Amino acid sequence: MSASAAAKLEWLAGPFSDDPGIDRKALAGLLVELARNLEPQFGSEPNGVRPIDPRLEQLRTLLVGPEIEMLSRLSEVIEDPEQLAVAVGRILPAAIAQVSNDGRLGDVLAPALEKATQSSIRSDPRTLLNILYPLIVPAIRKSIVETIDETFQSLNEALRHSLTWRGLRWRWEAWRTGTSFADVVLKHTLVYQVEHVFLIHHHTGLLISHVAAEDAAGQDPQLVSSMLVAIQDFVRDSFSGAEHQGLDTARLGELWLWSEPGPIATLVAVIRGNPPEGLHETLREVLSRIHDERRHALESFDGDSSGFADVDANLRKCVALGQRASEFAARRFPWFVALVGLILLAFAGAAGWWWWQDEQAWEHARQLTAAKQRIWDRYVAQLRAEPGVVITEAGQRDGKFVVAGLRDPLAVDPQLLLRQAEIDPSGVVSRWQLYEGLEPAFVLKRLQASLDLPPSVTLAVEGNHIVARGSAASTWIERARTAGRMLPAGGPSLDLSRLHDINEGAIGKLSEAIQSHEIHFNFNESLPAPGQDAILDQLAKELTELASLASSLHVTARVMLTGHSDDAGNGTFNLSLSAARAEAVRALLKKRGVDPDLLAVRGAGQFEPLEVASSEAARSANRRVSFKVAIEE
Amino acid sequence: MTVTLQKKICMLGGFSVGKTSLVKRFVASVFSESYLTTVGVKIDKKTVELSDRTVNLILWDLAGEDEISSLRMTYLRGAAGYVLVADGTRPSTLEVALSLRRRVEADFGPLPFVLLLNKNDLRKEWTIRDEEIDRLKQDGWWVRSTSARTGEGVDDAFGTLAEQLAR
Repeated sequence: MSASAAAKLEWLAGPFSDDPGIDRKALAGLLVELARNLEPQFGSEPNGVRPIDPRLEQLRTLLVGPEIEMLSRLSEVIEDPEQLAVAVGRILPAAIAQVSNDGRLGDVLAPALEKATQSSIRSDPRTLLNILYPLIVPAIRKSIVETIDETFQSLNEALRHSLTWRGLRWRWEAWRTGTSFADVVLKHTLVYQVEHVFLIHHHTGLLISHVAAEDAAGQDPQLVSSMLVAIQDFVRDSFSGAEHQGLDTARLGELWLWSEPGPIATLVAVIRGNPPEGLHETLREVLSRIHDERRHALESFDGDSSGFADVDANLRKCVALGQRASEFAARRFPWFVALVGLILLAFAGAAGWWWWQDEQAWEHARQLTAAKQRIWDRYVAQLRAEPGVVITEAGQRDGKFVVAGLRDPLAVDPQLLLRQAEIDPSGVVSRWQLYEGLEPAFVLKRLQASLDLPPSVTLAVEGNHIVARGSAASTWIERARTAGRMLPAGGPSLDLSRLHDINEGAIGKLSEAIQSHEIHFNFNESLPAPGQDAILDQLAKELTELASLASSLHVTARVMLTGHSDDAGNGTFNLSLSAARAEAVRALLKKRGVDPDLLAVRGAGQFEPLEVASSEAARSANRRVSFKVAIEE
Repeated sequence: MTVTLQKKICMLGGFSVGKTSLVKRFVASVFSESYLTTVGVKIDKKTVELSDRTVNLILWDLAGEDEISSLRMTYLRGAAGYVLVADGTRPSTLEVALSLRRRVEADFGPLPFVLLLNKNDLRKEWTIRDEEIDRLKQDGWWVRSTSARTGEGVDDAFGTLAEQLAR
């Protein structure tokens, strides 16, 4: 107390604060009013208000001193975090208990708790794991068991029906609908109906909601639900290891009792028939939805089940679940009739298609054959029109075209015509016998080929004759006449009457002039006797003229220079002397500008005498060089 | 529309005090009594019409126990109240009832209950003294004398309990 008293004194002794919170004028007025109540004659107006008046402070201390002291203690507590923590800590549990029914507390605490949980997991996950372990493990175990049950159920049913007629039908259905065989088997074998669904409050065993199928019979659902809970408790109590689990499935003949426990309420379904394991999942989903939607109502359930109409609706969905055998029978489409019909249709269609294809192929082949035949006929006709070709047989044998006959070697080549007609030669068998045709054209061709026709001569067919026109050397004309005589009788003949013998013209005269000259020699001399230069000059002139004339007539002229000797002396010597004389003349003519190729030389010795006599005059005449002109085509 | 409430009520009492007879006589029963010996509990329903509501008392008839320790306390979970039954002709059954009450109180806290002193029809043979009953009444107990045989006091007893629970 001494400390607080001292504080009060200190506060009094301290400097007077110019407290703006106090309206000093109003206070002075109030005091004057009080004084007037005591003494009416007291001055009506406060005479002067001092801005600072220690008496006012004294008055305040007297009036609210204890409160000021208490406030200072409180502010001390509030401002000191340690003291404040102690103070709040003392009332916190009670405060939380007070507002525990207020939903807002949970909302406010949730984020902090989440953070705390997260940091706890981060620092050491095992802590939370240890807390959750008793909850998680049974849940996982149950889930695994159910999955295995489901698999076995599916496997069992599938095996049982795999090789029956019905099984085959279901296989077809599976294939048609694209589902697994097992699913189809389950769909047909698992005929079931959910007859009752109970939503039971865990804690009290009281019924929250119950929905039954229309035709389902049953006892008072309230009693049933309590009994179910009692039995669950009984099982749980009676057998160790089941403390945290309940009875989840019970079976009595055709009836199944499936129980899905939730945090607050348990969903119990009474099912008639053979329910699929997958139904567990459906029931759990409904239960979880109910918990999500009505958690608060479930938590505060105290036996009043009105106001759970929406829950009823959820349960009604469960009761609607079922798989009726009759439904399938009614809905079944006559797939087998349809299938047989389809197969028949498919066969008919395929047969029609094949027939049509066949027809098309045949038609195509026919057209192709006809086209080939037309080309072939055209070819044969063309061949028949060709001169020098006689067809004796034309047709088809063993899928090949056959043509046989006679053919002049000079006639057109049938293979060439075949190629031009674009016929595959490998598809054609040809047999040709060669013969000599008597058609004027072929005779003409043959003559052309055998007569080595000079360019100045042309042959032409005129009626049954082959007429030669132009000019030719007499040698060629002679040869042609011979060939003409060789032609077969009855055939065309060779007419040479229109042909000019070039030897009979200018070239003939020139040849005669050249041949009339002789160059004479003295005894045993190889050079010409003197006084014959004029003759040599004349010769040279005529020879040059001959060459140019022959060239213009496209004939070849050759002049043989033959040297002769008299009969005196050795024969062999005379031969070489005569050859030397011919060479000398050739040289002299060459000297006079005659083309040496025109001139040929030979020595006749004493064997071709001009005069056969032994007189000197005869001998002198025989010593000479003579000239012989030959015109060749 | 009258509100319908459900309340779980446990029937507790010593061996052969007449619990099952009480239930059998006055309650719509659907389950056979063999449940008691098999599952250890039999459930029945007693509908009590109050002025403004209907209360369905779901009665959990537990197998008669002399040994309190063997009582399946789990069956009491979620009970809104209970009925103690004693045989007026056997004071030991009152002792059992008292100890059962203590046991329940210890496990589940104070719950509304009613004590039925059965076999009222054998009133002359009663060995429980009235003073004892008065003492219990003074302690705030609802004590009713009933007779499973005549039906005396039974409806009244359930009505009283229903009223308490429906408050």
